[in-house]
Amino acid sequence: MSRKLTALLLAMFVLAGAMGLKTVVMAHSDGAVMMANGSDPVPLPPIARNGSDPVPLPPAARNGSDPVPLPPSAR
Amino acid sequence: MPVSIGYLIWFLGVVLEVTVVVCALKRHSFRRYLCLNLYMLLTFVVSVGRHQILSHFGQRSIEYWYFYYYSDAVLTIFLYLALITLYLHVFDEMKVEKWLRLTAVLLLAGTALFSYGVVHQSFQSSGKMLATFVFELSQNLYFVGLVLTYVLWGAILKLRETRTQLIQLVLSLGVYFSAFAATFALENMFPNLRFFTYIVPVFGCLLPLAWAYAFWRLAPDARMVPARLAVVSR
Repeated sequence: MSRKLTALLLAMFVLAGAMGLKTVVMAHSDGAVMMANGSDPVPLPPIARNGSDPVPLPPAARNGSDPVPLPPSAR
Repeated sequence: MPVSIGYLIWFLGVVLEVTVVVCALKRHSFRRYLCLNLYMLLTFVVSVGRHQILSHFGQRSIEYWYFYYYSDAVLTIFLYLALITLYLHVFDEMKVEKWLRLTAVLLLAGTALFSYGVVHQSFQSSGKMLATFVFELSQNLYFVGLVLTYVLWGAILKLRETRTQLIQLVLSLGVYFSAFAATFALENMFPNLRFFTYIVPVFGCLLPLAWAYAFWRLAPDARMVPARLAVVSR
């Protein structure tokens, strides 16, 4: 039983550490996302098709230094 | 970044991913590090799929957008599993395989639950909830992988692990994770620097390059001799 609890405790420690690190790294984030699998081109924000909601600006309009599109929640 | 340079780096990354698998097969390390090689194979397959969708629908299409982020989540989960197999290699003599697997499953489930909790706070309607959950899970799992890699490196130092190939695989993974996280943090602090536009895709090639080197140049059973053992006192 204690070993199972140790496994649970370790998992919780790692998760807490990871989320803490994420908070530090993304402290100055503007909503951009970090993707780290391969060197494939990151998709640009899709052109608006439904409704008149404002479309996020493409990376080129933001000085081209933001590598990734906004997350779905921000669209 | 000019499109041609972006495509060149992408092509280079894909070639290196295939090279890793070929090197592992040639050096008979494919089965020893099965999850790592499956991850590289999957990365290659996903790159081909992304190229197909990109050429059909374009970089601004919703199809490419969804395919990119969903496939990225799958790749991150595979990378997590590959990292867990490295743990199994390091701790194989301690007979704690069962507990490592249990911890890994608990951690994955905990990360998924945490991600769901974050997404659930933001979304009351379930319209785009799945897409946001997949995205959030991928991000959180990335940082869990980063922490786990450093914990593993600490364990390697503590246990005085001497298998050169294993050390090279773990260290390259640590550099890869750290480079992305550091670049991302710096990019957010200095958004006007164009330097990061070039360097981020290059980082995508680093991991397959380091792994290909590890499989090609280092023998599976090669061991480092710690300096303190090499010194003969007279």
